[in-house]
Amino acid sequence: MNLKFNKNWQLSESLVTPEKEYRSRTRRDFIKTLGFGAAGALLLPNQSSAATEGFPSKLNPNYSGKELKVTPFNYVTSYNNFYEFGMDKGDPVTNSNQGWKTDPWTVEIRGLARNTGKFDVNALVRKVGGIEQRVYRHRCVEAWSMVIPWDGFQLSKLIALAEPTADAKYITFTSFEDSKNAVGQQDSNFGWPYIEGLRLDEAQNELAFMATGVFGKPLPNQNGAPLRLVTPWKYGFKGAKSIVLIEFTQEAPLNTWQRIRSEEYGFYANVNPKVDHPRWSQGSERVIGGGVFNGRQSTLMFNGYERQVASLYKGMDLKRYY
Amino acid sequence: MNFVTRLIRSEIIFYSLLSLPALWPLYPFFTGNYTVLADPTKYLLHHFGFWACLLLVTVLSFTPLKVLFPKLFFLTALNSQRRAVGVASFVYACIHLGFQFLHESGWPTLVHDLRKPFILIGVLAFLILTLLAATSFNAAVRWLGARTWKSMHRFAYLAAFLVAIHQALGRKIFPKQVIWIFLPLLILEIVRLIYRYKKKTVSAVVLS
Ligand code: HEM
Repeated sequence: MNLKFNKNWQLSESLVTPEKEYRSRTRRDFIKTLGFGAAGALLLPNQSSAATEGFPSKLNPNYSGKELKVTPFNYVTSYNNFYEFGMDKGDPVTNSNQGWKTDPWTVEIRGLARNTGKFDVNALVRKVGGIEQRVYRHRCVEAWSMVIPWDGFQLSKLIALAEPTADAKYITFTSFEDSKNAVGQQDSNFGWPYIEGLRLDEAQNELAFMATGVFGKPLPNQNGAPLRLVTPWKYGFKGAKSIVLIEFTQEAPLNTWQRIRSEEYGFYANVNPKVDHPRWSQGSERVIGGGVFNGRQSTLMFNGYERQVASLYKGMDLKRYY
Repeated sequence: MNFVTRLIRSEIIFYSLLSLPALWPLYPFFTGNYTVLADPTKYLLHHFGFWACLLLVTVLSFTPLKVLFPKLFFLTALNSQRRAVGVASFVYACIHLGFQFLHESGWPTLVHDLRKPFILIGVLAFLILTLLAATSFNAAVRWLGARTWKSMHRFAYLAAFLVAIHQALGRKIFPKQVIWIFLPLLILEIVRLIYRYKKKTVSAVVLS
């Protein structure tokens, strides 16, 4: 059941098939639809263009997510947790588009690997052989979910390029730091920059993905432009945004949320309906865009990617390693 | 001055004012604010919780304000509307709870969620508000006796305290709004206590 006035407030935008929609749109229209009215106009002049290499991308049929219903573009790009730009879901879309530049962008690869160094993000995309599109589920630890068509490349390609040494057991992702433009970083209690990490074998899983775009377009700033991590079987906070440093290490890094509240957020953060968070039941999730009355569904083990990733955690007590 | 007093005392106008915060959350639904539309129940849940809390703090600040500024005419008028503000806080809390039901789908989740401290504390605050709203009628005052009624309604302070904790624990990161909502009330109460203490010592000196 839906509210009667559903039609009025779900603008036609969100009702059409996203694929058809975004393919035919120019960047300018796309920016316009980001904002609403005056706010949209404000966003226009400052928008920078992130990593543009490789677009338009081709959908990878092995990860087409055919059975999934893609979340409308407008929700994906205006409902964001990106604490660098504010605490509320609506903050990033405004605050990350006020002059913060994501082009040009340099990513450093460092640590226990043979091919380290600093790379321009577009050059990096060329090196790994371009981009493709994949439709993935996205599950936030706050018990909401989306379905997102990402553009980018499989993380394992980058790892192959870097050639980690035998000592390398973990991979660490560090987000940008720029407290002048990122208003959320002016609150130093958080302990910037944002850090996330994966076990190397997790990072080499076929699903682990480096995104440079969504809906066939370069990532908008609020979604973590120009380069972010996507690990669809884990809670969303694992997906470090606007990455500047990728490091191969022997020890597991202390990821940001674990450092802030280790009793609530662990290193693994695998989606698991049977392990509750102190404030959210993880057994089910709100579907973003589901409206007022039909917005809930059951959460799947490993967010529905059990077949691909379960073997990574064989024999581990997932209650303990949450 | 009489005009302001009359406005405040006018039931229609005062109740309309109190119901405005229930109407304006509809606005983003018509303007297409995608952040709100993406997760409407969460937005509504927060909105009504916020107003329940704000109205509770507002009504609690009437008495200390009146003690500190006994001559301010509109405070007297406001004070006569205390019950309306208090009941409005309860009504908003009910709507808050209603949206929590839609948001988390019903009783089983609520019962399950009682093990989370912030929910348990919210429920306790809600029970207090229910008790106070249920005894807000004149008949209840007569039935309980003015003294019992008065000491019972002091539980409103406990409710406010619980709501502050409920709100602070409910978010991933401490929400600063808790400070600006509750700090003024805290200051008012402290000033009022000092004031009362001074008055007592002054009258003691006069008596001796
Ligand atoms: C009946 C029991 C109650 C339940 C189950 C409940 C549930 C909740 C939930 C789930 C949240 C949202 C936490 C989040 O952000 O995820 C919340 C927030 C809040 N609640 Fe309650 N609540 C209850 C009673 C109350 C009462 C009685 C008040 C005030 C008089 C209140 C005021 C608030 C406030 C101010 C917030 C914060 C909103 C924000 O973060 O903007 N709640 N409550």
